[in-house]
Amino acid sequence: MNAKAVLEKLNINEINVGACAGPDDWYKDPEAEESISINPATGEPIARVLQATEKTYEQVLEAATKAFKSWQMMPAPKRGLVIRDLREALQEKKEPLGDLVTLEMGKIRAEGHGEVQEMIDICDFALGLSRQLYGLTMHSERPAHRMYEQWHPLGAVGVVTAFNFPVAVWSWNAAIAAACGDTTVWKPSSDTPLTAIAVQHIANQVMSSHGLKGVFNLLIGRGSVIGERMINDPRLPLISFTGSTKMGRRVSEAVSRHFGRTILELGGNNAIIVTEDADLEMAVRTILFGAVGTAGQRCTSTRRIIMHKSIASELTENIKKAYKQVKIGNPMEEGILMGPLVTKAAVEDMMAALEKAREQGGEIILGGKRLHDLGEQFVEPALVKMPAQTEIVHIETFAPILYLMEYDDLEEAIRIHNEVPQGLSSSIFTTNLLKAEKFLSHEGSDCGIANVNIGTSGAEIGGAFGGEKETGGGRESGSDAWKAYMRRQTNTINWSRELPLAQGIKFGD
Amino acid sequence: MKPLVTLDTQIEDLVLKHPKSVHFLTKSGIRCIRCGEPLWCSLGELLEDEKVKDSQHLVDKLNQFLEEQD
Repeated sequence: MNAKAVLEKLNINEINVGACAGPDDWYKDPEAEESISINPATGEPIARVLQATEKTYEQVLEAATKAFKSWQMMPAPKRGLVIRDLREALQEKKEPLGDLVTLEMGKIRAEGHGEVQEMIDICDFALGLSRQLYGLTMHSERPAHRMYEQWHPLGAVGVVTAFNFPVAVWSWNAAIAAACGDTTVWKPSSDTPLTAIAVQHIANQVMSSHGLKGVFNLLIGRGSVIGERMINDPRLPLISFTGSTKMGRRVSEAVSRHFGRTILELGGNNAIIVTEDADLEMAVRTILFGAVGTAGQRCTSTRRIIMHKSIASELTENIKKAYKQVKIGNPMEEGILMGPLVTKAAVEDMMAALEKAREQGGEIILGGKRLHDLGEQFVEPALVKMPAQTEIVHIETFAPILYLMEYDDLEEAIRIHNEVPQGLSSSIFTTNLLKAEKFLSHEGSDCGIANVNIGTSGAEIGGAFGGEKETGGGRESGSDAWKAYMRRQTNTINWSRELPLAQGIKFGD
Repeated sequence: MKPLVTLDTQIEDLVLKHPKSVHFLTKSGIRCIRCGEPLWCSLGELLEDEKVKDSQHLVDKLNQFLEEQD
């Protein structure tokens, strides 16, 4: 699909409004600053956006908090039916929306479409969840008493997403929050505003058919203006933030000041341990997807390979061969496996990290160069052999750099693996059951995600997604991640005519 | 001549208008200013957070670096 057709199908205009609370509630402020969305593959502008202002922020927040009052009263299974319709609308727009992700962010079409599929999948999950917001019952220690817990909606939830998954991460949050009875206020990355506007149009269409508004809300604007307002606003009792560890710390501190909650999905520094008995062919295919997919710009991208000395040369050669076959170019074209980096700054970040790696004894054994002929934001993915896990390897560089390191025994491999401050995703390639189990045990990987014989990236929506340490500890998407979007209430009911106290306390008898 | 960058420059503007500053700052030990989302603060706040003793001196060097790049 060509760019013009994609924009038309998604109702993207030459100039778009960046604040919205429903089908007829696009808020325009004459004071609004304009931003331009740039295609990272060509450097050409795609469309412009009028950013949210202080005034439109207030309008959206008012709408979201007002809508919460009625949305929370709709029975959860009925809310699920609205999400089911959102799923259908996304399915209908899967191709153009996936293409817009590619146009605006630079990931290849297969990944762009995969991202929309993830939105559809999470809507399926949320529909089922809407009938399963279960609480526990407990046996009371007091006679003729009943105890149970229930989960209530929380409020308007702030969702701040990054450029690398410009639409899927919104849906992880928004679909689950909606099932839970919350409304959402979304601030997408300033690098990918158009995908957010397209999603808002789709959501509006669904809201309109149900006579709703204010459930899914949008605020496109500068982080230093809109983002700061959101994290300091007590009307948003929960902020779900995806971004860097540095930003996560800022968000956490601000939200904590008003005793709000956060779901933080921050940096990763994901490694694969490859043991001497691993299936190397499978490992190479996985490493390629993990390190080069999305041009190394996934939170779960594979950034480190920790390989047993005995297979290091063979594995390195095989990875090199695989890397040489990667077709780099315009991600809209068929056969391309790696597109551009999202911004020029991302390219600079990568080049600086490679210089640092060299200074710290690393050897760039393949790639790592700018590809000026393709465009300013194209690079070769880099393979860097490191003599040790130096300071630069401890840092997440959001680019296709893969550090290769060797180990002698599994204890050493796990030590190297866990030494970094981040703890998102991890993997071991082995055919040895004992090694696999050790890696998954509490003395193994310290990450939120630990896999065996599959890579670090490409998680399914059914599991809880997130990580430990400087990754922030938040969990989104599947499993029981929904609990973060609700408030737990413990209830005790006395159905006797006595008033026994807990712990057998006698008071004034 | 007015400097390209000052302590008040927002990081969002810095990475957009002067992407090469990311290279300079990374080499100076100030990293991850744009991963996922550019930091929501000024350059001055970032340098204070990073405990840079003479932040104005670093900004002067950054300006010099950016002018040389042009």
